[in-house]
Amino acid sequence: MAADTHAHEHPGAISPAKRLKMNRVGLWLFLLSETFLFGGILVSRFYLWGATRPELNQNLGLAVTLILLISSYFMYRAETAIKHDDRGDFLRSISVTIILGILFVAGVVGLEWQEAPIKPFTGGEFGIYGDIFFFMTGMHAFHVVTGVILLMIVAYRGYKGHLSSENFWPAEAAAIYWHFVDVVWVFFFPALYLMGSVVGPGH
Amino acid sequence: MNRIVRILLGFIVGFVAGIAVLVAVRVLLGLTPMPATLAPVLFSGIGFAILGLLYGFEPSLGLTRGFIGMAIAMIVGVVAVTHFRRAMGLDPAYALEPAWTMAAVLGPIGFMLGVGAVTDWLKWIFGIHTPDQHGPPEGKPAWTRYFGFDQNHKVIGIQYTVTGIVLMGLAGIFALIFRSELAIPGIQFLALDMFNSLVGLHGIVMIAAILLGIGGFANYLVPLMIGASDMAFPRLNGFAFWIAVPSALLIVAALFFGGWDTGWTGYAPLSVRGAMGVNFFMIGVFFFGFSSILGSMNLITTTLYMRAPGMGLFRMPIYVWAVLATALIQLTGTQFIGLSFLMVVLERLFDLGFFNPAEGGNVILFQHLFWFYSHPAVYIFILPGLGIVSELLPVFARKPLFGYKWIALSSMAIALMGFLVWAHHMFAAGMEEALRVPFMYSTMLVAVPTGVKFFSWLGTMWRGKLSFPTPMLFVLASIAVFLIGGLTGPPLATVPTDLFLHDSYFVVGHFHATMFGGFVFPFFAALYFWYPKITGRMYNERLGQIHFALQTAGFYIMSLTMARTGLLGMRRRIADYDPDLGIQNLHIIMTVAGFVIFFGVLVGVYNLIVSARKGEVAAANPWGSRSPEWQIPSPAPEHNYEEPFEVVGEPYDYGLPGSVYVDMHPSGSKTAASPAH
Amino acid sequence: MKHARNVIILIVVGSAVLLFGVNVMDLAPIVASAEAQQVDWLFGLHMNVIAFLYVLVNGIMLYSVFAFRRKPDDDSEGAYFHGNTKLEIAWTIIPLITVLFFAFLGSVVLRNVSLAAPNSMDVTVTGRQWSWTFEYPEYGIVSTELNLPVGRQVNFKLQSEDVIHSFWVPEWRLKHDTVPGQDKYIRLTPSEEGVFKVRCAEMCGTSHAYMLATINVMSQEDFDIWVQKKLGVYEGPEGGEEGEVDPVAEGFALSQSGGCLACHSVDGSPLVGPTWKGLYGKTETLTDGSTVVVDEAYLYESIVDPSASIIQGYADVMPKNFGDIFSDQEIGYIIEYIKSLQ
Ligand code: HEA
Ligand code: HEA
Ligand code: HEC
Ligand code: CUA
Ligand SMILES: [Cu+2]
Repeated sequence: MAADTHAHEHPGAISPAKRLKMNRVGLWLFLLSETFLFGGILVSRFYLWGATRPELNQNLGLAVTLILLISSYFMYRAETAIKHDDRGDFLRSISVTIILGILFVAGVVGLEWQEAPIKPFTGGEFGIYGDIFFFMTGMHAFHVVTGVILLMIVAYRGYKGHLSSENFWPAEAAAIYWHFVDVVWVFFFPALYLMGSVVGPGH
Repeated sequence: MNRIVRILLGFIVGFVAGIAVLVAVRVLLGLTPMPATLAPVLFSGIGFAILGLLYGFEPSLGLTRGFIGMAIAMIVGVVAVTHFRRAMGLDPAYALEPAWTMAAVLGPIGFMLGVGAVTDWLKWIFGIHTPDQHGPPEGKPAWTRYFGFDQNHKVIGIQYTVTGIVLMGLAGIFALIFRSELAIPGIQFLALDMFNSLVGLHGIVMIAAILLGIGGFANYLVPLMIGASDMAFPRLNGFAFWIAVPSALLIVAALFFGGWDTGWTGYAPLSVRGAMGVNFFMIGVFFFGFSSILGSMNLITTTLYMRAPGMGLFRMPIYVWAVLATALIQLTGTQFIGLSFLMVVLERLFDLGFFNPAEGGNVILFQHLFWFYSHPAVYIFILPGLGIVSELLPVFARKPLFGYKWIALSSMAIALMGFLVWAHHMFAAGMEEALRVPFMYSTMLVAVPTGVKFFSWLGTMWRGKLSFPTPMLFVLASIAVFLIGGLTGPPLATVPTDLFLHDSYFVVGHFHATMFGGFVFPFFAALYFWYPKITGRMYNERLGQIHFALQTAGFYIMSLTMARTGLLGMRRRIADYDPDLGIQNLHIIMTVAGFVIFFGVLVGVYNLIVSARKGEVAAANPWGSRSPEWQIPSPAPEHNYEEPFEVVGEPYDYGLPGSVYVDMHPSGSKTAASPAH
Repeated sequence: MKHARNVIILIVVGSAVLLFGVNVMDLAPIVASAEAQQVDWLFGLHMNVIAFLYVLVNGIMLYSVFAFRRKPDDDSEGAYFHGNTKLEIAWTIIPLITVLFFAFLGSVVLRNVSLAAPNSMDVTVTGRQWSWTFEYPEYGIVSTELNLPVGRQVNFKLQSEDVIHSFWVPEWRLKHDTVPGQDKYIRLTPSEEGVFKVRCAEMCGTSHAYMLATINVMSQEDFDIWVQKKLGVYEGPEGGEEGEVDPVAEGFALSQSGGCLACHSVDGSPLVGPTWKGLYGKTETLTDGSTVVVDEAYLYESIVDPSASIIQGYADVMPKNFGDIFSDQEIGYIIEYIKSLQ
C-alpha cells in the first residue's frame, strides 16, 4: 500500500497513479468480455453461412469501413491532444470522431439496411442471410452508438474544462473503447463482405 | 404504534393504488378496464401493496424507489410500444408481446435509476463532485443501508448473500411444489404447463441463488483476506449487485406471463414457440449476466492490484485463488448465454430464423452457444465452494494445507479446461458426430484436477487434530456429497453410456450432488464459519448440528433415489410417469427427502436470524485462524484495517511454532494513529 | 504406519462390500437390445471404479475423523507437513491414465454400437408434439406403433416436424434426439421379444410427459403377418379373425399409440385439448361463436381436419396428418372408443 497513507481520507485509500492503473485493467477486462460476445457472433455467422455470403453493396461497405478507420485516427489525436493540454485540438478531433461515428451508423443502418435483403424491416425474404446480417451489423451499430454517446459526454467534459493532462482518464477510456469497436468491425467487414462465395436472391 | 399504523396504511393504499394503476394502463391501451382473469389484478395489487408496506417501514428506502422506478419504466414501455405500433398501423393485438418485451427491457433500467445505482455517474457527467460514501446514510438508522445502494464491500456482500438465501428458499418451494405433484403417478393438482414452468423456474432461480451466494462471499471476504480497504471499483460493485434484483424479479414474473416450458436450458426452437414468459425469463437472465460480468471484473482487478505488501500470488489465502479462477470464467463465458438468449428473443420479436431450419437456421447452434457458457458455469458454482473447503480444513485440522500450489493451480486448470468440454451435453443431440470422441476425452480430463483437490484434502486431514464444530461438519459433508456428484460425471462423459443416461434422472442426481456438494454445503459451512466475523455473535451449535443432520441425511437419500429412478427409465421434466417402471416408492421417498432438506435449511436460517440478536458475543478469532480477517475485531470495522498489514509468512503454517502469516503492525508502533480520523 | 495399515484394511473391506453390492444389484431395466449389452458392460465397469473411489475417499476421511479427532483436553497442533510431491504426481498420473482408458473404451464401444449390419431394416421415425409415427420404406407402411422382428438390426432415421424430441427406449439403452430440419440416425438391434415403449426424452412442451409410443418386438413370422395385414394382403389360416375385433378396445389402443391421449384426457381433466369424457353428444362452442352437437361426422372431421373447427378456449395445435396415418376403419374404432366414454 502507498506510503503516503495519511494524505488520504481513510486508511488504505488508493493513490491516483494506482487508480489509473486499475481503471485501465478494469476496462481491458471488460473488453476481453466483449471480445467473447463478438467472437460468439462471428462463430454464429460461420456456423450458419459457412463459406457463403449474401450479395451486398461493396462500395458502401468499403466506405463505412474507411469512415470508421479514419475516425479512429481522430480519436487517437484527440486523446494525445488532451494529454498535452491542447484543448482546442482535443475538441476539434473528438468532434470529427463523433461526426464520423454518426456517419458510419447512418451508412450501415440508414443505407445498407434499406438495400440489403432484411426481412423484418423491409419485407425482403432472404432467410438466414438477412437475419445474420441484421444481427451482426445491428449489434455492432449498437456499440458504435454507445461509443458516440460516451464520446459526447467526454467532449462535453472537455468543453467544460474538466479534462487535462492531469485528468485524462475519461478521454483515454473512451478512446480505447472506440478503437475496440473499430477493431471489431475490422473482423466483421471481411466476414460480411469478403469471405465466401456469393449467394443471394439474384444467384 | 404510529409505525404499525403507517405500515398497515401503506399496505392498503398500495393495494388500491396497484389496482388503480392496472385499470389506468388498460384504459391507456384501449382495453376493457378489468382483465378477464383475476391473476393480473392480484399481481398488481399485491406488488404495490408490498411497496406501501416498505414505505411504511421507512419512507425512503433505495429498494422501494427501485421498485417504483421499475414499475414506471415497465408501464412506459408497454404504453409506448402499443401506441407506436398503433400509429404505424401495425396489428395492435400482436402488440402484446413486443410491448411487454420492451417493458422487460426498460424495467431493470428504471429500477437502477430508482435505487440510485447510477446517480453518481450521472452527476459525474455534469462535473458534480461525488465523494466516496462511508458508513450508513446520514440521518437514518444503520439497517437502512442494507436496503439501498451502498458502496461498502461488506454491506454488498451481505446484500448478495441474503438475496441469495431468499431466492434459494423460493426455488426450494418451487421444487417442493412440483415434487409433491410427482410423489404419485397421475396428475393431481398442477396443470402440465405449470409443472413445466416450475421445473425451469426452480432450476434457474437456484442458479441465480448460487451466483448471488458466491458473489456474496467473494465480496465480503476477498478485500478482507488480501488486506484491501474495499473493492477496486466500489460503485460498480453496488451496481453489479443491484442489477441482479430486477433481473431475478423478471425471471420470477415469467410465471405471470404464461410461464415457459423449456426447462432452464431454453432450447430453441421450443423456446421460440413458447409463451411470452420465455422473453421475461431470457431478458432476466441477460441482465443477470451484467451482474456476473461486472462483479468478476471488479474481483479480478481487486485481487491483482490491491494485495497487501508481501502477499505474492502463492501466498494468498486459497479461497482467493478459487475466486480468481471463477471470475475468469464469469467474465468471459457469460457473454455466450446472453448471446444465445438474445438471439431467441430477437427471433421471436422480429420473426428471424437463426434456429428455424425452414429459413436456413440450425437448432444445434443454440446448444453450442448455450453450453459454451453453461458448462463452464457449473465450475463457477463449485470452485468458490471447493475453495472454502480448502480454506477451512487446515483451520479445523490444525495443519498446513496439503499441496497448496497444486490446489491453487487445479482451480485454474478446472476453469480453463472447463471451456473445452461443453459439447458433452450434446452427445445425443445430433451434434457433429466426429466431435463426440474428442469431447469425451476432454471431459474426462477434468476429473484429474478435481481429484487432486480431493486427495489433497485427505492429505490435509491426515494426522491432524480434527475438531468438529458446525462449519467443519458441513465441510466434511461437502466432500462426501461432491464426491458422489463428481464420480457420476465420468459415466455421463463417456458417449455410449451417456446415450443411455442423458436426460434421465441419473443426470438430475448427478447435478444435485455436484451443486449441493460444491455449493450448498460449503455455502453453509462458510456462513457458520464467518458468522462471528460478520455479526459479532456466535450461532447456536445445537441448531447447527440439527441443520447439518437433516440436510445431509435428506440429501443423500434424495440424490441416490434420483440416480436410481433415472437408471430405471425416469425421464427429466415430466409431470407424470409410467407406474410400470417400478419407481413409485422411490418417488415418494424422494419427495419426503426434499421436504427434510427444506426443513433442515429452515432450521439453519432460523439459527442465523435469531443468533444475530441473541447469540453469545463472539471473540475476535474464535477459530484460531491465521487469516488476516480474524486478527481484527468482530464485526469487521467499516474500513477493515486500521493500518495496512504486511504478509511475512505462509498462510497455512499451522503447527509450525512461532510462525505468523501476517504482521498486523508492520510500522512497529501499536498505536500508529491515522490523523485523518 | 499403523494408520496406513488400518486404512488400507478399511478400504479393502469396504470396497469388497460395495463392489459386491454394485455387481449383484440390477441397476438398469432388462437388456432388450444387442447394444444394451455393450452399454451395460461399460456402465458396470464405471460402477466398479466409482464404488472403489467412493470407498477410498470416504474411507480415508472417516478414518481421519475417528483416529485424528482432537481429544477433549488436548490443544496441540497437528503434524506439520506441507505436501509430498511424489504423492501429488501419483494421484495426478493414476487418475489420468484411468480416465484416458475409459475414454478409449468409450470410443471402442461407440464404434461397435454404430456398425452397420448387412441386413439392417430402415425405419423412419417422425416425432411431433406429442406423438410418434413410424414409416417402413421397405414395405411402404406407416404406423403409430413400432412393430419389429427380433434380432434384426434397425437403422432408424430420426426426423422432427416441429421441435426437438428424443427417441428413447430404456430397455434398449441408446437414445438420440430428433432434430427439426436434419436427418439423424441411430442403429439398434432388438434382442428380446415383448412390449416396450418409446419415451420422448427431450423437453418438447406441454405434453412431453405423455409422448409415448408402443413397441412390439416379435418373431419374424409374426412380423411378416403384421406387415401383410397392414398392407391388406394377409390370407393366413385365421383370415376370418377381423370380425372378432372389439372396436372400443381397438380404439383405445389406437388412441394411445397414436398419441391422442397426450392431449386428450378420458377422465374429464383438461390437458392441451378438450377431454373426451362425455364428448359425444355434447354441444361445443367454436371460436367463431357457432355451436355444434358432437356426432360421428363431426368427430371424423375433427380428426382428419382439425383446423376446420376450433373449440373455444383451445389453440389450433392438433396435428393435421392423422387422416393419412389412420385408415378410415381405424378412425371408426377411435370414434367408437370416444363414444364409449360417457
Ligand atoms: C456444480 C456443478 C457440476 C459439476 C462440478 C459437474 C462436474 C462434472 N460433470 Fe456435470 N452437470 C451439471 C453440473 C455439474 N457437473 C449439470 C447442472 C448438468 C445438467 C445440465 C442440464 O442438462 O440441465 C450436468 C450434466 C453433465 C453431463 C451431461 C449429461 C447429459 O445431459 O447427458 C455430463 C456429461 O459428460 C457431465 C459430466 C461431468 C463431469 C465429467 C464432471 C467432472 O468435473 C467431475 C470430476 C470429479 C470427479 C471425477 C470426482 C473426483 C475425482 C477423483 C476422486 C479422482 C479419480 C477419478 C477418476 C479416476 C474417475 N455433467
Ligand atoms: C443449487 C441448485 C439446486 C438445489 C439446491 C436444488 C434443490 C432441490 N431440487 Fe433441483 N434442480 C436444479 C438445481 C437445484 N435443485 C436444477 C438446475 C434443475 C434442472 C432444472 C431443469 O431441468 O430445467 C433441477 C431439477 C430438479 C428436479 C428435476 C425436475 C425434472 O426434470 O422434472 C427435481 C426433481 O425432483 C428437483 C428436486 C429438488 C429438490 C427436492 C430440492 C430440495 O433440496 C429443495 C430443498 C429446499 C431448499 C434447499 C431451499 C431451502 C431454503 C430455505 C428454507 C430458505 C428459507 C429462507 C428464507 C425464505 C429467507 N430439482
Ligand atoms: C397436440 C395435441 C393433440 C393431439 C396429439 C391430438 N389432439 Fe385432438 N385436439 C387438440 C386440440 C387443442 C383440440 C381443440 C382445438 C380443435 O378443435 O382443433 C382438439 C380437438 C379434437 C376433437 C374435437 C373435440 C371437441 O371437443 O369437439 C377430436 C374429436 C379430437 N381432437 C380427436 C383427436 C384424436 C382422435 C387424436 C389422435 C389420433 C387427437 N385428437 C390428437 C389437440 C390434440
Ligand atoms: Cu417430444 Cu418430449
Ligand atoms: Cu457440463
